[in-house]
Amino acid sequence: MKKDKPRIALVIGSGSVKCAAALGLMKVLERENIDVDMVVGCSGGAIYAALIALGWPVQKATDATLRMWTREVTAKRNIRAFLQLLLPQIFKFDESFGLINDRVINRRLREGFDGATFAQARIPLFVTATDLYNGEQVVMSEGSVAEAVRASISIPYIFPPHKLDGKFLVDGYLNDPLPIGVAIKEGADIIIAMGFESPYKERITSLMRYNFQISSITSNNLFKTNYAFHNLAHHFEIIPILPEFEQRISLFDTDKLPYVIKEGERVAEQQLPYIKGLLTG
Amino acid sequence: MSTYKRIALVIGSGGIKCAAAVGMWHVLQEEGIEIDSVVGCSGGSLYGTLIANHVDVSVMREQSAALWTSDIMQGYTTNLKATKDGKLRFTERSGLVNDSVLNATLKGIFRDLSFDELDMPLKIVATEMMTGEKTILSKGSLFDAIRASIAIPIIFPPWEVDGRLLIDGAASDPLPIDVAIQDGADIIIAMGFPLSYRERFRSMTAVQEQLNSIYMNNILTSTYAFYNLAHHAEIFPIIPEFDAPISMFDVDKIPDVIERGKQATRAQLPHIKRMLTSF
Repeated sequence: MKKDKPRIALVIGSGSVKCAAALGLMKVLERENIDVDMVVGCSGGAIYAALIALGWPVQKATDATLRMWTREVTAKRNIRAFLQLLLPQIFKFDESFGLINDRVINRRLREGFDGATFAQARIPLFVTATDLYNGEQVVMSEGSVAEAVRASISIPYIFPPHKLDGKFLVDGYLNDPLPIGVAIKEGADIIIAMGFESPYKERITSLMRYNFQISSITSNNLFKTNYAFHNLAHHFEIIPILPEFEQRISLFDTDKLPYVIKEGERVAEQQLPYIKGLLTG
Repeated sequence: MSTYKRIALVIGSGGIKCAAAVGMWHVLQEEGIEIDSVVGCSGGSLYGTLIANHVDVSVMREQSAALWTSDIMQGYTTNLKATKDGKLRFTERSGLVNDSVLNATLKGIFRDLSFDELDMPLKIVATEMMTGEKTILSKGSLFDAIRASIAIPIIFPPWEVDGRLLIDGAASDPLPIDVAIQDGADIIIAMGFPLSYRERFRSMTAVQEQLNSIYMNNILTSTYAFYNLAHHAEIFPIIPEFDAPISMFDVDKIPDVIERGKQATRAQLPHIKRMLTSF
């Protein structure tokens, strides 16, 4: 009896601009005619998962990123948030808190994804976020891609949570920075998982930096334990692709995109023999 | 033929809820179940130490009440305001609380006790502030180890031990079952506490707490799932249930917390006993 073709999933974890390394990985997979059957993305990874699932070529995806993700998305401070911080009772502090006014990012995502819906994706797409009220993972696979991506990238304190279907959604990394579990549930046989650890600060000079340090500590530990669990539960079929950047890539270093994509290609080439072995074995 | 089974007790992070470990210890003693080693994280390190030191249950009750007084939060409100106003610069050594009361309270209970004076081996888990790595403490001063392990981020200043700046063990491993596995335990009784979620957010602190709870609970769930899979039949989870959220200084709820610890332990007793007699 002929064995069914194994279903391949691509999972792209959180990691802001570093997630563009997924485009490099995709280049290698396309060259080798390795078809991907589903794409899962979280936070920054959701942007690239969506671009890949929509079937946009690498150049178009890079251009879209450059248009969407510039410093201006965090330039407009949310005046109400500052008043809420100073006088929480009068200005009614609530769950919609975010230091940045999200109008620019919302518009950029809408324009960048050009009204795309999940139904239009050439490869089934899954985007993860976290429910602010119970910490559970929320998997989005219907409706507007821009809305789902917006929810997935709701960086705590920076962007307000995104309200979707009555839920307040925050960044997917709070639940699982590399959501391999979604690919397992969707029946993937081979999972190519690209993940990124959050960088640590060398010096802490403010409460905000302290907050970010704690965020990095907890999310890196969450990343490691989730990965260890999925790897044990589902071991030989998960191929980790972990780019290593010698240059520090900050939140808006989009000028480093070519370097990031190149690094994605490099680590993908390293793992290629293993992926091919799995496909023919 | 019977083989000796090494039993380890793991007490996870959970603030005052960790007093449930007193109830667990009570039941285990009643049943004559001997423990070979203890692992504690954050609030669990306090009770882990008392258990490893074979402190009497009635003394544990008293010490619990002495520990969780709001005096240990000295300076919190003033410092929080100073941080908002920009008058207090926050560094990696900062905390919103002036820790002198906390330190004196801990010293009053644990004095100069060191790990090697305990009646059974104890390990305490903390997290390294600058690298996020889990750190296991098993030598030297218990005060130092406990103080590091309970250093709730932002609230209490980190604590330096052997040149490393340490914070709350919950940030890396809220229920460190793996430490017991590495030490070769055959049976692991693990008491863990998921954090409760908020229904309303009326301040930035509330948002911070919620985000923390989300992280910690997800780390708790995934580490537990991992260790359970890696080591399944021999891990007995004891997760006390509480009707209402218990906040940090609900000292008057300690008797109820201890009772819940007893109930949760009794519920697992048949399984634990079966494991003990099955060889």
